Amino acid sequence: MDSLAAVDWTAYEQEALKAIEGALSESELDDARVKYLGRKSELAQALRAVRDRESGMLLNGIRARLEAAVLAREHDLLRVAYEAAADSGVDVTIPGHPVRRGRLHLLTQIRREIEDIFLGMGYEVWDGAEVATTWENFDALTSDPGHPSRSQFDTFYLDDDTVLRTHTSPDQIRAMQQRTPPVYLVSPGRCYRRDTPDATHSPIFLQVECLAVDRGITLADLQGTVLQFFRALFGQEREVRMRTSFFPFTEPSVEFDVTCFICGGRGCGTCKHSGWIEMGGAGWVDPDVFRNVDLDPAEWQGFAFGFGIERIAMLRHGLPDLRAFWENDLRVLGQF
Amino acid sequence: MKVPVSWLREYVDFDLPVEELARQLVFTSCEVDRIVRRGVPGGDNLRHFVVGKVLEAAKHPNADKLQLTKVDVGDGEPRSIVCGAWNFGAGATVAVVTPGGVMPGGEFTIEKRKLRGETSEGMILSERELELGEDHAGIMVLADDLVAGTPLADVLPLGDDVLEIETLYNRPDLTSVYGIAREVAALTGGELKPMPGVEPARDGDEPFPVTIEDLEGCPRFIARVFRDVTLGESPAWLKARLSGAGMRPISNVVDITNYVMLALGSPLHAYDAETLAGGQIIVRRARAGEELVTLDGTRRELDTRDLVIADAERAIGLAGVMGGENTEVSGSTTSVILETANFEPLTVLKSGERHRMRSESQTRWEKGVDPEAAGYAARYASQLLAELAGARWTGETEVRGEIPAPPTIAFRPAYTNEAIGLDVPESEQRDRLDRLGFGVDEQWNVSVPSWRARDVRRDIDVVEEVARFRLEDVPATLPNRQAMHGRLTHTQRLRRQVEDVLVGAGLHEAYTYSLQPDDPDPNALELPVPLSSQQRLLRTTLSVGLIGAARHNVDMGNHDVELFEVAHVYLPVEGSKVPNERWRLGGILQGNFFRAKGIVEAVFEALHVEPTFERAQVLEGSPVGARVESGWVAQHGPVGLDGEWSAFELDLEELFALVPERILYRDVITFPPLRQDLAFVVDEGVPAGQLLAAAREAAGEELREARFLSDYRGDQIAAGKKSVAFAVAFQSPERTLSDEDATRLRRAVVEALATRFGAELRA
Ligand SMILES: [Zn+2]
Repeated sequence: MDSLAAVDWTAYEQEALKAIEGALSESELDDARVKYLGRKSELAQALRAVRDRESGMLLNGIRARLEAAVLAREHDLLRVAYEAAADSGVDVTIPGHPVRRGRLHLLTQIRREIEDIFLGMGYEVWDGAEVATTWENFDALTSDPGHPSRSQFDTFYLDDDTVLRTHTSPDQIRAMQQRTPPVYLVSPGRCYRRDTPDATHSPIFLQVECLAVDRGITLADLQGTVLQFFRALFGQEREVRMRTSFFPFTEPSVEFDVTCFICGGRGCGTCKHSGWIEMGGAGWVDPDVFRNVDLDPAEWQGFAFGFGIERIAMLRHGLPDLRAFWENDLRVLGQF
Repeated sequence: MKVPVSWLREYVDFDLPVEELARQLVFTSCEVDRIVRRGVPGGDNLRHFVVGKVLEAAKHPNADKLQLTKVDVGDGEPRSIVCGAWNFGAGATVAVVTPGGVMPGGEFTIEKRKLRGETSEGMILSERELELGEDHAGIMVLADDLVAGTPLADVLPLGDDVLEIETLYNRPDLTSVYGIAREVAALTGGELKPMPGVEPARDGDEPFPVTIEDLEGCPRFIARVFRDVTLGESPAWLKARLSGAGMRPISNVVDITNYVMLALGSPLHAYDAETLAGGQIIVRRARAGEELVTLDGTRRELDTRDLVIADAERAIGLAGVMGGENTEVSGSTTSVILETANFEPLTVLKSGERHRMRSESQTRWEKGVDPEAAGYAARYASQLLAELAGARWTGETEVRGEIPAPPTIAFRPAYTNEAIGLDVPESEQRDRLDRLGFGVDEQWNVSVPSWRARDVRRDIDVVEEVARFRLEDVPATLPNRQAMHGRLTHTQRLRRQVEDVLVGAGLHEAYTYSLQPDDPDPNALELPVPLSSQQRLLRTTLSVGLIGAARHNVDMGNHDVELFEVAHVYLPVEGSKVPNERWRLGGILQGNFFRAKGIVEAVFEALHVEPTFERAQVLEGSPVGARVESGWVAQHGPVGLDGEWSAFELDLEELFALVPERILYRDVITFPPLRQDLAFVVDEGVPAGQLLAAAREAAGEELREARFLSDYRGDQIAAGKKSVAFAVAFQSPERTLSDEDATRLRRAVVEALATRFGAELRA
């Protein structure tokens, strides 16, 4: 109790607080801290000597309050220092230290977006080979021998039995051979046709195939899936429609259109003032295709649809010439 | 196919506006590219186009090449009209447009004006001005029994809407106006008129020998003989329809064959009978070395697979594709052999491909023509030859092989609903099929009409015939799934990761062609018929395409060119044309070997794979290169790019095989590491990588980290030697290592390097 009695602790605290709050620099603050809280301070000495609980509580209370005051003053001083710096004219519009960064090709970005939508709908992503047998590319898809797509003028042949795939549809055949249904997959990849390159044609292009095989699949399921996919890609306001078409491997076959995502369907240059944009081909899987891969069409039904990736990129980003995708000019690649 | 609407209306009644008809056809039947107005703009404008009687005609007083006429246009006030033509005189009946009339094309309006001092109140019209034909040598002279003032539209097909239709591959029946009329009838419920064509009287029984040597290529051939044919121009209505359908009028006989082809879909051909050697026709395959000059004036060397029409001596036509010049109908023709036939589609297709030809006839045969249409076409063409060319039908020969009967299909109307997810009532299905020409009995046995026999063979094909009229009503549902799993495979996730690492490292992704002009592998698969020499080989490496992409960027003046590509290469497989397709990662960037190596190391590190580099000549002419697990990295030799360029290529399947399946936690917190720097003097030829590998092997698990610091030659180091410095960290997951442990580990490293590489530890 001696040590307690020797000091007027209320006065000590007052004095210390005054010194701490009055410190105008970090060193002044440090001096005050050493004097009132340091190892040799009266407070520290008294704390070392304290033997009873009541005195301990009193002295520890003082210490805690003084420490809090030191911390608060430290922040004040720092804030003042920063404010001073802010006045001193640092030009924050000068660029930061450069960090190199590249970009994914636009077609990869869109391919991933498409894949991700289908992954979300419970589809797998299928990697298909680009060289196909004529059986995979044509025969198994029930394309008849006179179909123009088989001609040497449309298709790259390696020999009579081998072609560069003209569409991603041979992956339907491969997948149904390798998987046990149900099958839900998308297959993106390079396809090849003998088109002379111009603004809208390339002998090498990217297509995405979607295939669903399950029990009880109908054309209405195709309509719903196409609708859900294009809403995910182009916005929830989109509508789709089906028109009659012909593909050897679907029956009935349809083309599907999406309401224009530029004008919302009112009509503009992009949709040729029709309000609709042609997106691709689709249909109910022909029962003979199932037979060709030893599946029973009485048990399994399916739908398939396919569309081009470049077309989506061109429409969405206003690119007039698809040759730009293959030129890899950094001034173009860097835009997306 | 271009379909003049007036022609369509001749075969079917419908109330829909043309635009709405087109809109509905697009859903149910075929593409309609556009609707084009042809000829004189319609509506009120037509009142300006009238029949006129020329009252007076004389030379223009002030112009030698012009006539000044007075024409009665039926309103009691004869008009004076200046005209440039001289093929008529007073008394002629002509076509006149009065002031205010808008001419075809819609841009030119006739006005009253002065021509060389004389007033002209209108214009006397030629065929060409009305878009009725090509003839503009003079004005059109009309039949004299027409009354002045009669609306011209009642006399001539002045204007028409034309539907431009693209038919689908499976609908050859829609390559005829009558076929489209049938479709319109099914769509609108309008009445379909009977097929046009009434046999004219047969006048004689001339024999005309026809031999078919190849009944598979030509299962049916009808030859009809016509005498006393008067070759001349076709009437205006016929010319107008042909022009509207996009064909050029030539002469009445040729025009009739074209007109009937367009009307009924079965191509026809007319030969000048006098020019047929031996007075006969033989259908056979071409002989070796045989030649034919086709109607387009091209001399063609025939292939023995070509099916030809021949006379006793020579080929006179490429079957189904084009006739020959040697038997062409001409101004002196008086006898005609008319051909209608069936040709096998693939034979015609292959001939067309071989000779690189495209004709209206060929496109129809390729898709498959209704085998019964040959008879109807012969009938209709005969009627028109009699009516328009004064021809006498004097004989006919028909040769016919086996033509399979159209199928009958056992159908279940519920199948439609199962397939399309929409309930289509049985009565509607039956009605639609009936209108399309299918027969449906009480038990739902569906008999297919001849014009659909190629396409409709199974019950699912019948479903489509019904479904296509209801596509707008099909609801949007989703598959009712029992199980769901949508995820990328391990490989696909790693591929995305690699791409992202490279983008983060500053590279842009490129897409280059899989077909390349050159490839380092002499066995690279080659296209027998490439599109161009620039795209003839299936690449076995991405590097050629990437060099091209880099060069393009340099040429464009771009800086900091750093590109990568993730794509297939196609490795040849012996004895097969199906290559081994591999996913590869390739890169190219400006800078030396170590720039590229740094990128490769970043990829490996991201995948938790420790790479080992071994110097190797991986590219031709390359100054520095190395093999690494799954691929290579190298500085390019001269490849047409200024400065230093480096590249790398990794086989992703091989690389991903090295990726650890899971990463196990290593305790790096509980016990602290002991860090040291070690420098060794070794022969210059010793690779730093080998020193590090040996150090790891010698010290074992407790050498947690060994990092290359520097590689130094020069002062204090003997010639032929170098000093290599590493930073090492010794650490154990089980205890704090003591100074003795550190000494032990360090000694193990020093001894191993001394033994294997003669390395001496520097102070
Ligand atoms: Zn639009």
